[in-house]
Amino acid sequence: MSPTTTTRQTDHSPDRDESLAIDAQDVHVTYGDGTEAVKGVDLAVRSGEFFGFLGPNGAGKTTIIKTLSTLLHPTQGSIRIDGADVETETHTVRQSIGYMAQETSVDEELTARENVRFACEVYGVPSEERDERIEALLELVNLTEDADRRAETFSGGMKKRLDAATVLVHRPPVVFLDEPTTGLDPEARIQFWEYLRDINDRGTTVFLTTQYLEEIDRLCDRLALLEDGRIVAVDTPQALKSSVGGEVLDLVLAEPTDAEKHRAGRIVRRSDAVEATRIEPTDDGITVTAADAHGGVSGLVVTLHEAGLTVTGFDIYSPTLEHVFLQLTDADAEAVGAETTPGQDVPTAPEVVR
Amino acid sequence: MSGATGDEQARHSAGNGPLGDVRVSLKRWLVKTARNPFVTFTSLVQPIVFFVLMAEVLGAVAGGAIVQHVGVDVHYVTYLTPAIVIQSALASAAVSGIGLVDDMESGMFEKLLISPLYQGALFLGNVLSEVVRITVQTTIILVLGYALLALKGGSLDTYLRTGVLGFVGAVGVAVLFGGVFMAYSNVVALVTRDREATVMIANLLTFPLLFVSSAFLPLKVLPEWIQTLAVVNPITYGVDAIRAFMLGENVLSVFEVTAFSGLWNTVVPAVAVLLACNLLLGALAVRLLESASKSDVA
Repeated sequence: MSPTTTTRQTDHSPDRDESLAIDAQDVHVTYGDGTEAVKGVDLAVRSGEFFGFLGPNGAGKTTIIKTLSTLLHPTQGSIRIDGADVETETHTVRQSIGYMAQETSVDEELTARENVRFACEVYGVPSEERDERIEALLELVNLTEDADRRAETFSGGMKKRLDAATVLVHRPPVVFLDEPTTGLDPEARIQFWEYLRDINDRGTTVFLTTQYLEEIDRLCDRLALLEDGRIVAVDTPQALKSSVGGEVLDLVLAEPTDAEKHRAGRIVRRSDAVEATRIEPTDDGITVTAADAHGGVSGLVVTLHEAGLTVTGFDIYSPTLEHVFLQLTDADAEAVGAETTPGQDVPTAPEVVR
Repeated sequence: MSGATGDEQARHSAGNGPLGDVRVSLKRWLVKTARNPFVTFTSLVQPIVFFVLMAEVLGAVAGGAIVQHVGVDVHYVTYLTPAIVIQSALASAAVSGIGLVDDMESGMFEKLLISPLYQGALFLGNVLSEVVRITVQTTIILVLGYALLALKGGSLDTYLRTGVLGFVGAVGVAVLFGGVFMAYSNVVALVTRDREATVMIANLLTFPLLFVSSAFLPLKVLPEWIQTLAVVNPITYGVDAIRAFMLGENVLSVFEVTAFSGLWNTVVPAVAVLLACNLLLGALAVRLLESASKSDVA
């Protein structure tokens, strides 16, 4: 499917901030079949920033990252990467970026060293610098000892790291990573995080999409939350978590059937013990977001007990990015207790991008 | 501006230029070819088995027909060699699209599209590596034909009568012929995006096309419908052009050309037809590649 390009326009407005690594204004991407995947996205990512891009499946994350990295044309709007326009200065943009797709993209018939060397040649790295740069990159991704083994013999994590090394041969100021740790085991993921931190510490702007909220929380300076082709919030992870407000109370039910969870949700919603702003089902009960969870939990347990619902355990903690995610998207549309009181569902509006 | 790890010049390198990009791409494909000699080997084995069997089976009965229709006294091994050269080139070229499919499946295609690499280099590098492979294969088969002819006690004077010119010409025609099916294979690859489909469609074509051509027997001894199909079969032109170099004679079997002299009455029109097929299918392949690079990434 091809995004239509009939209404494409390029903005050459003089008031753009040239210090931005990624400067996207009113970006729309519409596919040939009429599907509007991106609906007016604005982004301003500062140089050297580690920026996360979060959203449910089908929200348009991959379409946006492919548009920012010149693989797709924006139907409307303008994008500048490290000061260059993606439409009129495509070649310059391509020399300025590294792009790592969801699928690991290495030539498995070549060795690790040959893969990195090929990338050096593709990006025109001066021949006198290649050997040194290849060794430095292999060391950075901890593949020096395996440099002369064919990539087909590598584990998934090793291939990812090799892929990442090939993305950096030309020392791009901006790197796009589309769900780079999907499919990696936890150990490989943590190792990869260290690598990402390392390249960011060296000054590279990192734009990361991921399904792992923990990844965003640990790595990103700021994140944008995407829903249905639109950015609904952008801020630091901490600020977004604070915006949820209150505490999160996990209640474990003795009989966690769907019917019991729904009944418990309705009771909590009506209870005076806590002022629930959000109620969601979990595997073994329900989760309640409330400003006064600590003070109201005992009363709530008693109320549930009197209604014939046995609570076998509970836990109270601060909101996580998962709660931000659920609160700001429709991901829990069918969740128990989703019927939030008007005006209460988003206690503190997060900073909206631009 | 960011990019603390390198200076401005290193970050925004001047690039390689289109020719440099083709060289970079070719180098990668040659390394892959060397890493995987299986394809070169298998695309040689079948033609060689055919060579030996056909020389034994058809050679015993076809000699008279060949002398009658070609007009010169030639051993069947000499007559058959151009067909085996073309069969081998076909076997290689018809699966060259697999490389492209593999790149698409592995994500390398998309990765290279987003790089500053000249997009045509993706296709040309692959094609040129096949040219190298076909050159090697053609040389091996020409040497093998000579050895087989010597073994069977045939007249070595009648083998590759045009000498070095004939050798260079045979390689050139094989490459040109290979180009037609490389382009075709890449078109199939870009349309199907499927490794198995690319291989199956290649195999499906190889044998029927060989038998509805002048590859194994003079067209005049074959049924009329085969003679008709042979006119639109690139194999006929490839085989006839190489056979003209082998025998030093005009052997074009599908129509009469007298504008040139001797073997050139075969070589010139045959090369013209192959060039036209190359341009047509090559343009289609490049167009599909451009289309794939712009749209099929979502």
